[in-house]
Amino acid sequence: MANAHPRLRELTYTLYRIFRNPSAIIGFTLLLFFVGVAVLAPVLAPPKYAHNPYQMPHKGFSPTPKAPNEKAIFGTTSGQYDIYYGVVWGTRTAFKIGLFVVIISGFVGVGLGAISGYYGGWIDEFLMRVTDIMWAIPTLVLAMAIVVAFGRGLDKVMIALALIQWRWYVRVTRSEILTLRDQEFVQAARIMGVSDLKIILRHILPNAIYPVLIMASMDMGSMVITASFMSFVGLGSPKGYADWGQMVALARNYIVGPPDDPLRFWYTIAIPGACIILFVLAWNLIGDALRDAFDPKLRRR
Amino acid sequence: MTALLQTENLVTNFYTYEGVVRALNGISLVVDYGSTFGLVGESGCGKSVAVRSMMRIIQEPGRVEGGKVVVFFDPDNQQRGVDLLQQSEAYLEHLRGDQISMIFQEPNAALNPIMSIGDQVAESFLFHKRKEMCARVLEALRRPDGPSASPLGAFQRHLYARAARNPRDLLVTLTTKIPLLKHWQRRLKKEALRRSIEIIGKLGIPNPDKVVKLYPHNLSGGMKQRIVIAIALACSPLLLIADEATSNLDVTIQAQILDLLRSLKQTEIASILLITHDLGVVAETCDRVGVMYAGNLCEVADVGDLFHDPRHPYTRALLAAVPRFHQEGPLLSIEGAVPNLVDPPAGCRFHPRCPEARDICRRQFPETVDMGGDHTVACYLYTDQARAGDAP
Amino acid sequence: MHTFILRRFFFLTFVLFGVSVLLFGILMTFSPERRAAAYVTTPQQAKDIPRIIKQFGLDDPFYIQYVRWIKEVSRGNLGWSLVAARPVGEAFWRYFPITLEMNLYAAPIVIFLGIWLGSISGIHRDSWIDHSTRIFAIIGWSLPTFLFALVLLMVFYGYFHLFSPGVLSDELAMSIINHPEQYTAYTGMLTIDGLLNGRPDIALNALHHLVLPITTYVIVVVALNMRVMRSGIIEELSKDYVLTARAKGADRRTIHYKHARRNALLPVITVAGQLVAMSMEGSIAVEVVYNRQGIGWWLAESATQLDMPVLMCICLFMGLVFVVTNLTIDILYATIDPRIRLN
Repeated sequence: MANAHPRLRELTYTLYRIFRNPSAIIGFTLLLFFVGVAVLAPVLAPPKYAHNPYQMPHKGFSPTPKAPNEKAIFGTTSGQYDIYYGVVWGTRTAFKIGLFVVIISGFVGVGLGAISGYYGGWIDEFLMRVTDIMWAIPTLVLAMAIVVAFGRGLDKVMIALALIQWRWYVRVTRSEILTLRDQEFVQAARIMGVSDLKIILRHILPNAIYPVLIMASMDMGSMVITASFMSFVGLGSPKGYADWGQMVALARNYIVGPPDDPLRFWYTIAIPGACIILFVLAWNLIGDALRDAFDPKLRRR
Repeated sequence: MTALLQTENLVTNFYTYEGVVRALNGISLVVDYGSTFGLVGESGCGKSVAVRSMMRIIQEPGRVEGGKVVVFFDPDNQQRGVDLLQQSEAYLEHLRGDQISMIFQEPNAALNPIMSIGDQVAESFLFHKRKEMCARVLEALRRPDGPSASPLGAFQRHLYARAARNPRDLLVTLTTKIPLLKHWQRRLKKEALRRSIEIIGKLGIPNPDKVVKLYPHNLSGGMKQRIVIAIALACSPLLLIADEATSNLDVTIQAQILDLLRSLKQTEIASILLITHDLGVVAETCDRVGVMYAGNLCEVADVGDLFHDPRHPYTRALLAAVPRFHQEGPLLSIEGAVPNLVDPPAGCRFHPRCPEARDICRRQFPETVDMGGDHTVACYLYTDQARAGDAP
Repeated sequence: MHTFILRRFFFLTFVLFGVSVLLFGILMTFSPERRAAAYVTTPQQAKDIPRIIKQFGLDDPFYIQYVRWIKEVSRGNLGWSLVAARPVGEAFWRYFPITLEMNLYAAPIVIFLGIWLGSISGIHRDSWIDHSTRIFAIIGWSLPTFLFALVLLMVFYGYFHLFSPGVLSDELAMSIINHPEQYTAYTGMLTIDGLLNGRPDIALNALHHLVLPITTYVIVVVALNMRVMRSGIIEELSKDYVLTARAKGADRRTIHYKHARRNALLPVITVAGQLVAMSMEGSIAVEVVYNRQGIGWWLAESATQLDMPVLMCICLFMGLVFVVTNLTIDILYATIDPRIRLN
């Protein structure tokens, strides 16, 4: 081990640091579970409408939820939508939202941040002023404005979030690159005549990527929260779409049951709610473990 | 000779992911009253760890795990020493800065960036000279031209009187914690600031009354180091530990600081423990020298003795590596590197780099041998065992 | 110092200008017909849309329309709110005090609790107290505000009947409506107005209605503050000046609270802007779930009704809040950190 390649040693050490942390183990276990559910969705809950598997099947139209029974193991929510089916396919929806927003905004943000940080000058000035303007409005508020302009729908919510969230990645990448740009190994590569693109891709980004990874992990969670809230207020997915936020919205009028049994409809909110929380928690635990593992101040002790 | 500080078999380990770093492997040395002791060695050999262990300010994940650090406060009574490793943290807080103080390598980092110079120096007085200062303030308050006899003035006088008798008085401590009420300490703080200005002026800083209002970033490196020294000297300690205090300064500033330390030793403090990797500094300022290698003390001798008659192979190699004015032939370097202290070489830790290593050096750690004339060395070259036929 | 503040001020004015251009750009993705609909208040006017487009120049080039719009905005004319059934500017001042009131109570709790928990967590690093505060933080951070609010409502309103949604109980609200002469809305904030009108029952009842919203909000938002404070303390405690202080004879309390904490507060101040953004997002969710008619609720309602002028108004307001917060942060930072004060 002591004689292995330094990069390999560093990786082993990083993995050791990550998995020494109990929160990482819990986070990865939870994530693995959700990935399994998302991949196996067609097996776990065979779709009723083959052309549109995200549409939750429902028997009847009664607004009153039904408790878990043999036919619907998690019960049915308002409108008789099957909760089990909804949470299984909702896992796919959550991954769809998170991955779409994080990948698009991550690529755009890292690209712009790299250019801005590496070249500096007027490009940097211009890009930074644009991001400064983007920073002035909270994500949720700006996302709502964009969705209202584009029209409702989950796809519009995803686009709106991707259009906003890149600002984080620009900021993180740029500040990392500014510290790396003037270091000896970059200077050396430059003197040897390595092209700018190669320097950025080979020497700078691999060293700047950790904060971006931490950011991306936390973002997977927070984007799902934001999107589900927008579905909750009725800007996101339409009624009956397998989306956890949408399911919470369906349950909203049933948080308080009849006076003799006020918590009668607990399952309508607890099950999709638990899914959102655990999904977000998984990503946050992973992000937290990554942060601890990569923090240079805490690293070597 | 009368000892001021004596360490015996001091052992400090750091518990890291890579394993236990055995940073100090049983250090024994004596710092005498009135002497300047130099501790030299390559970087990473444990000099800083040694002095930080003595003051018990080792940071996580380090732990002092064995030995003794005995301080003799009374030069005339060598029987009554205090072992610092056995004392409570509160006792040490009392001692640090008052009896033993320390200055650090990096003056740019050693000062709190958002506290004014005056406040930082005054802290020393407020920690250790509270009683004395309260008495002085009380004296001023009692003078006829002092503040009027309002109830508030009387209350203030009462508090100062109590604090002058016992600075840890319950009422006094209580009132320092209550907002508004705690302002009775204003005069005390003023007194501390006055003393700070005095000590800063003594260290040759121009306009001390203006400097105390500045912040660290306003001063140059040399100035900052003088402030750090002022903090350390504030309460006229018995022993000043200078941890590479001049290494990061310009040569001219370095000379000034060394001059300052030398003159201070004659007036303010009893002894200095100077840590450095610069043998020139040692030759100029120290009386006695200890040479450290990889957590061990190899050789201790008077400064002239060490430079003219070095015994340990490491000391010899170290001296051979110093450029001289009339340099003849190439400068010699020591082959190899300082070992990793997680897994130090068995036996004498220097043997892999030692030109005179024998079999026994690889197996067993050498005892310290007294060469006479206060010169000790830890090497098998000078033991009976080695002479008895274990040829190189 | 003054030039620093002045420079920041110019920069922030630029940001505000940029925000308005951005918003107007979003608005311009609407067709002229849809924008004309904003001027329509009665069904009869619907057939006048082509005339409205012409009258207001809704098919003019971008910059002409932008200048015209900004002129209107600066005169206080922000359009018509469907939800409030009154002009946006007027409606804003109706809703704003409700949100402000909640934030005024919650902000000090978030700030002090975050700093306090973060400090003890950082000081006692890796102890059980550190672990439990970190678990608390990460769970709080993972809770979607609206969901947490719903669960609290379910338990404390549905099951225990301890708290109820809304801003005031029905009887008290009716008493205000029935006797308007006895109650003057000085500030619009019920807890303060109640006292000013000599009605402590109203103030207490409003405070009672604030308990759940504030709890929700604090638990979700406090994590950010806490985390920054914790890592700040850990970083500061590893610095050399701490060693100097220890060598000086400082006790742990002095080192932690006088030296390390003051330095660790600097990064906390820099995330204050993010905190304000989070508190706005938190306000939206909390107001929607607890049915408090503040600007967060108004925003969500208007968004579902595609009421663009309201969204524009709130976005502009957020831009203004951003500018004011950042200016405050700069000044605060400069007063605490002497390195900035003199440059």
